[in-house]
Amino acid sequence: MAGPLSLYVPGTSPLHRLPASVKLLGLLIGGLVITVPRPEPLLLGVAAAVLVALYLVAGLGLTELARQVWAVRWIIVVVLVGQLLFLPWHVAALTSIRMLLAILLAALVTLTTRASDILEAIERGLGPLRRLGVRTERIALVLGMAIRAVPIVIDLASEARDSQRARGVGGGPTAMVVPLLVGALRHADDVADALAARGMDDDEEPVMLEGSERLRGASRRPPRR
Amino acid sequence: MSESRPFSLSLSDLTRIAVFAALVAALGLAGAISLFGNAVPITLQTLGVMLAGTILGAWRGAISMTVLLVLVAVGLPLLSGGRGGFGVFLGPSAGYLLGWVAGAAVIGLLAAPRRGARPRPWRVLVACLVGGIGVVYLIGVPVQSLVTGVPLGETALLSLVFVPGDIVKAVLATLITVAVAKAYPAAFGGRRAATTPSEPTTASKTTA
Amino acid sequence: MTPAATPSAIVVDAVSVERNGVRVLESVTTTIDAHRVAVIGANGSGKSTFARLLNGLIVPSSGSVRVAGLDPVRQARKVRELVAFLFTNPESQIIMPTVAEDVAFSLRASGLPREEVSRRVIGILRHYGLDDLADRPAHELSGGQKQLLALCSGLVREPGILVADEPTTLLDAANTRRVSDALIALPQRLIVVTHDLALAARCDTALLFDRGRLIAQGDPGELIARYERELC
Ligand SMILES: Nc1ncnc2c1ncn2[C@@H]1O[C@H](COP(=O)(O)OP(=O)(O)OP(=O)(O)O)[C@@H](O)[C@H]1O
Ligand SMILES: [Mg+2]
Repeated sequence: MAGPLSLYVPGTSPLHRLPASVKLLGLLIGGLVITVPRPEPLLLGVAAAVLVALYLVAGLGLTELARQVWAVRWIIVVVLVGQLLFLPWHVAALTSIRMLLAILLAALVTLTTRASDILEAIERGLGPLRRLGVRTERIALVLGMAIRAVPIVIDLASEARDSQRARGVGGGPTAMVVPLLVGALRHADDVADALAARGMDDDEEPVMLEGSERLRGASRRPPRR
Repeated sequence: MSESRPFSLSLSDLTRIAVFAALVAALGLAGAISLFGNAVPITLQTLGVMLAGTILGAWRGAISMTVLLVLVAVGLPLLSGGRGGFGVFLGPSAGYLLGWVAGAAVIGLLAAPRRGARPRPWRVLVACLVGGIGVVYLIGVPVQSLVTGVPLGETALLSLVFVPGDIVKAVLATLITVAVAKAYPAAFGGRRAATTPSEPTTASKTTA
Repeated sequence: MTPAATPSAIVVDAVSVERNGVRVLESVTTTIDAHRVAVIGANGSGKSTFARLLNGLIVPSSGSVRVAGLDPVRQARKVRELVAFLFTNPESQIIMPTVAEDVAFSLRASGLPREEVSRRVIGILRHYGLDDLADRPAHELSGGQKQLLALCSGLVREPGILVADEPTTLLDAANTRRVSDALIALPQRLIVVTHDLALAARCDTALLFDRGRLIAQGDPGELIARYERELC
């Protein structure tokens, strides 16, 4: 899953090679260590040093770190302004730094781990739920289909916008979103047909046309109202 | 009632869940649009959340938004402005994002308590206001306060800036929902008029 | 109904289909036993409805359909193993994000070991010249490549029959040629709904539909001539 639809930066560093599950666990622990205690300059300083070291180990370098900071600059500014209205300045600064460090730590996992690897780790992590009757393979299926659907829906959206422009009608977002939604729903139903044709079972009670009462009567589930 | 059985999903339920997750992402990439001469800059993403609730219903709407958030968490840049990655769940807007899931559920519950019911404009509007704004802020504001350290009351005050835009979106979501019900009636039947039946294996198992 | 059908034949007996109270297929009876079958007729004449009957995507209101002796409604799982379906728009058939993942998806329930799955996936992609694109996102393919990918995803399960509903309608001349050649060369039985009369002419037999009725069955050349003469 490379390409424009991903934030992953390919590489061969130890951090890249670490299993996704280990990195997610590390993120969880690291995130807690940074965010749960009261923000102290010493703790945050150590955390910042560790973070810089990790970016270097990952081969991402300080430019990537700077780019990540730059990417969230507006969030930080907005938060800081809000804080300065109500909090003493040093508390405001420390909480903002704490938040920034947490975001940068998470970004490190995102930058060094393929999305498909994380999805696989999630599917494996959910494995035990199988015994409770949860169909975990369907979770993976829906996640995959959603990724696949993003470029399709983007195409539908630009089609809808262009045809709205071509007809010279105004009408604002409604005139664009209605055809987009209809196109998206129709697409979803077509994909459902394709799934069925490819042998995927429908676990829902089939709605039968006339003459099929026998099937309905034998169904395990109560008929839908 | 189907709404009480989250794990009985037809194939078209699964594909709609996936497509709506993608739809909300696409509405974010469309960028912010401006209404009323730039007075209210809004992104269309929360509009998509409301539509997921009104069109997919409570369970499927909530699952769809969860799918989107999972994809964001694993690093796809699907939030407005190309944001993504686990970091967004550690930032000030984390609560609003989680609010999308609960919001879509509440919207679905209020807008159409029965599956297959045609949407009534007033119900839909109330649902979008309560679920799309009330519920989202109810979760979003405390989390923002927690992350930023700004007290709850003051955070709530700050967040009021976005309420006018969200009210506009609730109205738009209502108009759009009603229009979609006319343009694609099958949207609310849960499935297309032509049926997609499957082998009644469960039936033969239980009757055997 | 002709009793001389071989066991693998498709037998459609007095099938009518109603949609929203409108009769869209009217008492269709036929036995299909040829290798390559074209289905032609005007827009709205019921071709797609007919095609979808063959794998249970549409349920007959009356009459019966048997595909190699199986009922596509009550034995949908078996029939869908036997019958692959190629739709018009490849966009809605490609379900997974990347090319190889999509083909592999067709084999997810096969119980085959991982290596065997990827061996088959690469094998079929190579056969249709897509192996270089295996790890590319599906949305980066051209329309013709997408349709070939949809074909690979259907064929990788080794079906006995392929039903295709206007598989070349969205393609340009070169890609129409590529997909048509691929279809005509299939060892499987092919039922292809098409407005591309050149493709229809390359089949062994044809079915001609008009306003929900099957009005003729036989040599493609004759039926195409009749279609152009009477119905255009
Ligand atoms: N979902 C539906 N609900 C109700 N009627 C439908 C539906 N789909 C198709 N029809 C009707 O069924 C009839 C036959 O449609 P069908 O799609 O089988 O035609 P077709 O021969 O494939 O046409 P085309 O060449 O345009 O694809 C048409 O009159 C159409 O209006
Ligand atoms: Mg058709």
